[in-house]
Amino acid sequence: MIEQIAKLEKIREAFNQEFERFLDFDANRTFFSLTDAELLKKELSDFRIKKTGKKSEIAGLNRFIGQVEQEHRAEFGKMIQSLSSDVLHAIDSVEKKLDEFILNSKIERERLDVTLPGRRPRVGHLHPITLLRQKIEDIFVSLGYAIEDDREIETDYYNFDALNIPEGHPARESQDTFYTTDGFALRSQTSTVQIRAMERRGAPLRIIAPGRVFRRDTPDMTHTPMFHQIEGLCVDKGITMAHLKGTVHEWLRRLFGKDTEIRLRPSYFPFTEPSAEFDFSCFKCGGTGIFENDRCRPCKGSGWIELGGSGMVHPNVLRACNVDPTVYSGFAFGFGLERMCSLMYSLDDIRLMFENDVRFLDQFR
Amino acid sequence: MLISYNWLQELENNGLSPAELAEKLTSAGLTVEGIDERTDDFIFDIDLTSNRPDCLSHLGVSREVRAAAASDLIVEPHPQEFRESANSSLVKIEAADLCHRFTSRIIKNVKIGPSPDWLKNRLESLGERSINNVADITNYVMLELGQPMHAFDLSKLAQNRIVVRRAKTGETIKTLDEVERKLDDSMLAICDAEKPVAVAGIMGGFDSSISEATTDVLLEVAYFDRASIRATSRTLNLATEASYRFERGVDIENLKRASDRATGLIIELAGGDAAEFVDVYPRRFEAKLIRSNDLSSSVKRLTGLDVSDKEIERILTALGIESRSDEGERVYIAPSWRHDIEIEEDLVEEVARIVGYDKIEDRIPPATSSGSYQPWELRKKSLRQTLANHGFDEAISYSFIDTKHDEVFDLIPGLVDDSITDKFISLRDSIIEGSTRMRPTLLPGLVDAVRVNFNQQNRDLKLFEIGKVFAASRSETGLPTERELLAIAMTGSEMLAEKAFAVRPLDFYDLKGAVEIALDAINIGPLEFQAADCKHLEKGKSASVALDGRVVGYLGFLNSEIAARYKFKQPVMVAELDLQTLLEASETQVFYQPLPKFPAIVRDVSLLINRKVSFFDIKTAIRSKNFELLKKIEYVDVYEGKGVADDERSLTVRLIYRSSERTLLEEEVETVHQKVLTHLGETCNARLRF
Ligand SMILES: [Zn+2]
Repeated sequence: MIEQIAKLEKIREAFNQEFERFLDFDANRTFFSLTDAELLKKELSDFRIKKTGKKSEIAGLNRFIGQVEQEHRAEFGKMIQSLSSDVLHAIDSVEKKLDEFILNSKIERERLDVTLPGRRPRVGHLHPITLLRQKIEDIFVSLGYAIEDDREIETDYYNFDALNIPEGHPARESQDTFYTTDGFALRSQTSTVQIRAMERRGAPLRIIAPGRVFRRDTPDMTHTPMFHQIEGLCVDKGITMAHLKGTVHEWLRRLFGKDTEIRLRPSYFPFTEPSAEFDFSCFKCGGTGIFENDRCRPCKGSGWIELGGSGMVHPNVLRACNVDPTVYSGFAFGFGLERMCSLMYSLDDIRLMFENDVRFLDQFR
Repeated sequence: MLISYNWLQELENNGLSPAELAEKLTSAGLTVEGIDERTDDFIFDIDLTSNRPDCLSHLGVSREVRAAAASDLIVEPHPQEFRESANSSLVKIEAADLCHRFTSRIIKNVKIGPSPDWLKNRLESLGERSINNVADITNYVMLELGQPMHAFDLSKLAQNRIVVRRAKTGETIKTLDEVERKLDDSMLAICDAEKPVAVAGIMGGFDSSISEATTDVLLEVAYFDRASIRATSRTLNLATEASYRFERGVDIENLKRASDRATGLIIELAGGDAAEFVDVYPRRFEAKLIRSNDLSSSVKRLTGLDVSDKEIERILTALGIESRSDEGERVYIAPSWRHDIEIEEDLVEEVARIVGYDKIEDRIPPATSSGSYQPWELRKKSLRQTLANHGFDEAISYSFIDTKHDEVFDLIPGLVDDSITDKFISLRDSIIEGSTRMRPTLLPGLVDAVRVNFNQQNRDLKLFEIGKVFAASRSETGLPTERELLAIAMTGSEMLAEKAFAVRPLDFYDLKGAVEIALDAINIGPLEFQAADCKHLEKGKSASVALDGRVVGYLGFLNSEIAARYKFKQPVMVAELDLQTLLEASETQVFYQPLPKFPAIVRDVSLLINRKVSFFDIKTAIRSKNFELLKKIEYVDVYEGKGVADDERSLTVRLIYRSSERTLLEEEVETVHQKVLTHLGETCNARLRF
């Protein structure tokens, strides 16, 4: 059987030698291209047929089993089987690696750059004033308020008289109001809407009046001759300043978060008595006045942001709208949207609001 | 208003630290905006509302502290009183309507010189420049008691007399600031026997002012009509600390005390003797009386605060508001320095602000009704959002525009009443150069916005604006017409998000599409587009839009004349629509159509037609005949160019045939189809291209 074993070993030897180049792939796969690998796989498949097929030398060894001594035949048979399984195993192993390599190469070849932008039309943006107005309107509608707007050019009666600003009052003589050549006023506050709404709806009522207003301010970083206001009015039996405070607090909490605090400070407006300015705790520094170890910008380090005016509706205003001030009381408040916007976005020049530069507009959503 | 902490302590020793004091004042409505720490004092910067001129002095602020700090340690300055004199021929008030009280004190043999350091320092720390002892004393007393006053050199007054009268038109005076000012008969002047020597309540005259040579002083302490001082200050464009206080209102009952205080200080610091004092008081002060049967319950009613009668009494007394009982009611007496207290609600505010607004509870009024948006807000919201989703940025432009845009734009039909001569609304004057016209169209604003963006190298733009326009009207009130419009501007190319390279240039059909999208979003339609010439639009590239036969707007390319004026180097398209009318129109109702049971047969035909024949003409021609089985005409494509004559285009349309009763046969469709083609040939001169 020595002779046969020598034959077998020679075949093994020959296989190992020929198989080396496939092993070479395993060791140096980084130098292989997909085409190389596919070619090699083809060759390997031919090689497999050649080495393990019915006509292969290994298969041929079975013919020698008969020549081996009876007592060694089983042993020799096992040796053939072992060789055959070694060969198959070696080829399978490389083939598996080749398959893997080919699959991976194909994936790589078709790999997408998922970081390229998605295909979508360029979308536009609503004006920051619209966005803020819509947000605030939503809050107040949910609190039971009706949104109202009305004329932008008004009579002195609605812009002044009905608001307890009689002729000769300093607020009226001030140079703030625009007049048309026909003697009408561009409304200098949306309180005009409150008057018209109260006349129309009577008491009780709850309204919010957002709209454009006009004042003769020369444009600068913090002034524009046109801006937007939101005013609120709540008239009913038993309304007190506590309701004013609670309402202002509630909507600011909904806008800036539940930890927002507010404070009222005594002030003076002709159309409210008592009057108050309202401030809210700074949304940026949380009322501490310090943001990132620096003086906080929106609140100027005070922790409070002054937002608007408010108060209990002056009895003369109620009377002007045929509401009996001995039966009804009400609160009103108002603030400027541009100012609020510039606070929220740390905008230092509000003139940008009306320049319509798309580099500005595109930043809001 | 700058207030010295030390000075306050002298008037009212309350033991509060500067920070505590600032907090009390702010809480009471005298907002302390800042505290300036000096070597030996703290200077408060207090922001006062215009109704509180009484706090333009240390005495006034100390009253507030007394009420807010619940202390009763006030030491009001009670100056030495000086004798009055009976001789009143020295002062004559000829305009008692403008000068309600005038006092004059003569102090003889004074020595004008510099002020002592304590006075200089105190004035300078409060932002006042030291001039000389007498002038400084008048300023000092103003800061202490709130009463502006003026010292004349008696020897410079002709006949040593004072006449308070309206100036004569044409009279002039050189004021202390050495400006020659023209007076007129609307202004109150302090005059001597011959000429004005001071603009009453605003500024003294240069020639009669105190100089080093002065020995005899006439000290004027007076009360002037607030509106008159305000008007004169405006007319002369001259605002001073005196005018600031007089136009807000000083304490008419405090003149003698202020005069005595200044006299005492002058004698102390400049020597001299107090001589004649004249007090002409033609309009006696009458205190306003406020009746209230239960102030405590009024406080509760308006603020929700529970404040006892006793505490109310304490607060009001501290503020100088006395009261008495009268037939079961309380009568509160507004002090002479409080011009702002007139009604019960004013007293409620006094009590509430001193108690502190921070004591007011936080409550939400009980819900009584459901909220609602403005009638069309939800549709406008959808309109805005839809346009934004299609790439449009929302613009907001000023409501006033330049008059140079007049007659350049065709306006929305029905906006302007042509029977009115001045059909536009103008402002008396402008703040932004030239912008005196209340816009009758949104387009100038949007075209300006296009220019702004071109200047920033942004050439692919889609903008829209929703806003009101204005025109004169013959309404009963005379108030102008206001109407809400929608305007669109677009130029450049269709762009994808985050992609630098354009997809394709925008054309008329993008603009038309935008209009259609917009009106779809508010559920209005169908719209009728017709070729139409328009003042501001390029001929042959413009259209009108109509709803139910009523023209509601125009769209197209901005004409080259306007484009040239703006130096636009690329075409700009604009549209303007009468949004208000569209929103008022009834919304499209949806009716369900049963789904077709039988298949359709479709024929695409390419028709060669003259360029003057429109797709609309083709549709109308076909519809007019009501061809059996023909259910629908759809647009496929247009071809212009090679193989088609210059004045023609090839229009491909799809004709859809269907029966609701059976499956159609090719032959029966062909018969109808041929009839359709023949009809198009006869009516529109359309020929089959293939
Ligand atoms: Zn802050």
